[in-house]
Amino acid sequence: MKDILRVRNLNKNFGGIVAVRDLSFEIREGETLGFIGPNGAGKSTVVNILSGLIPADSGEVELDGVNITHMKPYQRARLGLARTYQIPRPFPELTALASVTVSALCGKKRKNQSFEDAAVEATHYLEFVGLFSKRNILARDLTFYELRMLELARALATTPKILFIDEVMAGLNPGEANRAVKMIAKAKEQFGLTIFWIEHVMAVLVEAADRIVAINYGAKLAEGTPDEVVNNDAVIEAYLGRGWKEYA
Amino acid sequence: MVDIELKRERIVIRYKDKKWDWILEPRYWRNAILWTLVLLIFPAVCYFVSPGLINTMINANIYSAIAIPLGLMTIGTGRMNFGPNFYIGVGGYTAALLSIAYGWGPLMTLPFAIFTSIVSALVFSPLVIIARGLYYVLLTLLLPLVFLEVTFIYSDTFKGDTGLFGIVPLVDTGNAKINFLIVAYLSLTIMLVYLLAINKILKSRYGLIMATINDDEDVAHGIGVNINKVKIISFVAASGMIGIMGWFYAHYFSSFAGITYLPLTFMLKILLVMMIGGRAQIFGCVVGGYFVAFLETFLIRYLGPTQPIIFPVILMIFLFTLPEGLFGIWRKRRYREYLPTLHVRR
Repeated sequence: MKDILRVRNLNKNFGGIVAVRDLSFEIREGETLGFIGPNGAGKSTVVNILSGLIPADSGEVELDGVNITHMKPYQRARLGLARTYQIPRPFPELTALASVTVSALCGKKRKNQSFEDAAVEATHYLEFVGLFSKRNILARDLTFYELRMLELARALATTPKILFIDEVMAGLNPGEANRAVKMIAKAKEQFGLTIFWIEHVMAVLVEAADRIVAINYGAKLAEGTPDEVVNNDAVIEAYLGRGWKEYA
Repeated sequence: MVDIELKRERIVIRYKDKKWDWILEPRYWRNAILWTLVLLIFPAVCYFVSPGLINTMINANIYSAIAIPLGLMTIGTGRMNFGPNFYIGVGGYTAALLSIAYGWGPLMTLPFAIFTSIVSALVFSPLVIIARGLYYVLLTLLLPLVFLEVTFIYSDTFKGDTGLFGIVPLVDTGNAKINFLIVAYLSLTIMLVYLLAINKILKSRYGLIMATINDDEDVAHGIGVNINKVKIISFVAASGMIGIMGWFYAHYFSSFAGITYLPLTFMLKILLVMMIGGRAQIFGCVVGGYFVAFLETFLIRYLGPTQPIIFPVILMIFLFTLPEGLFGIWRKRRYREYLPTLHVRR
């Protein structure tokens, strides 16, 4: 399997605070890479840097062989990079259908695509995530779970190669979380996606991820299969604190 | 017996076994034709009944024609521009100076007025990228005020205190009443063209893209929208359209004074037209334009010296009691339908 995303020596400081420190990893085509770390470890900063929302201080990011380090978010999106947000960020004044239609229009370029073509395509993605019946509802009137699914449909409509999922479990009840995980697995299978999954809930990633990268204080702690990472002492210490063995 | 029933989105008229439906949706073609006909007939009726009202109608059309592109700019950039009158000044002074210096008529000065408005908008367009919120408001607010100062400092050229006179008039048939009537139709034509063109843009894919910028520009950027390009295009195009109204003012009055159009009072009137009409909703701008112009005329005629106090008080009451504007009363019937308005960030 070739690497679809390569991150090399990524650094980011906010004033005197080191948010990301010399971080390097790669994501292979078709895999699900879990990205874990305790609160404040720098997970969301890494996602924001990779999606182009904030610039890196140094380091390199390559998407499918193209250096995207200095590209703007819209250029990255057109190259096949899509993301969801930790706290859903819908377009509140737009209907679900309109929100996804914009993604279909502006994501990866399709030849001779009309407005109507994009709307039809958007309908397909809404149906996939189970929001077809809510297509004419304004995004601000959707429930939290529906907003998560709308974000997923919006991301899928850009026809991404790689999808960043930022803490999809946050705010969902166990039933909804279960459905969300199944939906992501289905999307990966049906659309041939590579998934970069940032998650707080370790159990979910152990089930879903092929590999996991763990970070703390912006630096890589461990990388490997879920079993290896979960049993790594440094990772356990980062989550539970020093001296955890005394209480184990 | 005729039975009239008001339903959620339509009026149903029944007579014996016959039934007619009249859909109240503002964009429904029959309604658009009906309102256009009313606007077309109005000046002709005024010509015979009360010619003074033609002037009010011209004002209403000009207010609307400034507020409509301002609405496009507001939605397309996701920011509230507090200095639309700067482009009225640019367009107006260009037309006035050229007309006085070379004796050019309105058709000759028009392309130059558009050109200077567009160029000045291009110069200031980085503002929509680098400034947000309060900073954008302050910067755009400063532009017309600085321009006003410039007209005083370079008084030899701009005649800042008295204004420029002797501009070739827009229409000159020799009969003042007919001139007014022609100008009324001309202003109405410009307003309707703006309304139709911008409505077409907002209903298209570009309108939808603008709406995403208005809602959340970071997310829009993340799904592939080139937000800087869209913001600059909507800013520059709308400024050019507003500049045309400056040209219109200069040739309509045959004089142009920055002190009339560049201060805060004129700018506030335009913003109120936009907000009272329907929070940057373009059909609302027409409603707001007519409401403000006719209210102003009515109060000047019947309240005299108290008008400067009563007028803003009434407008403020409307602003607070109708957060969605006058058009919002109508819009609520079809609130699911996409009609972009300014997304008020708290």
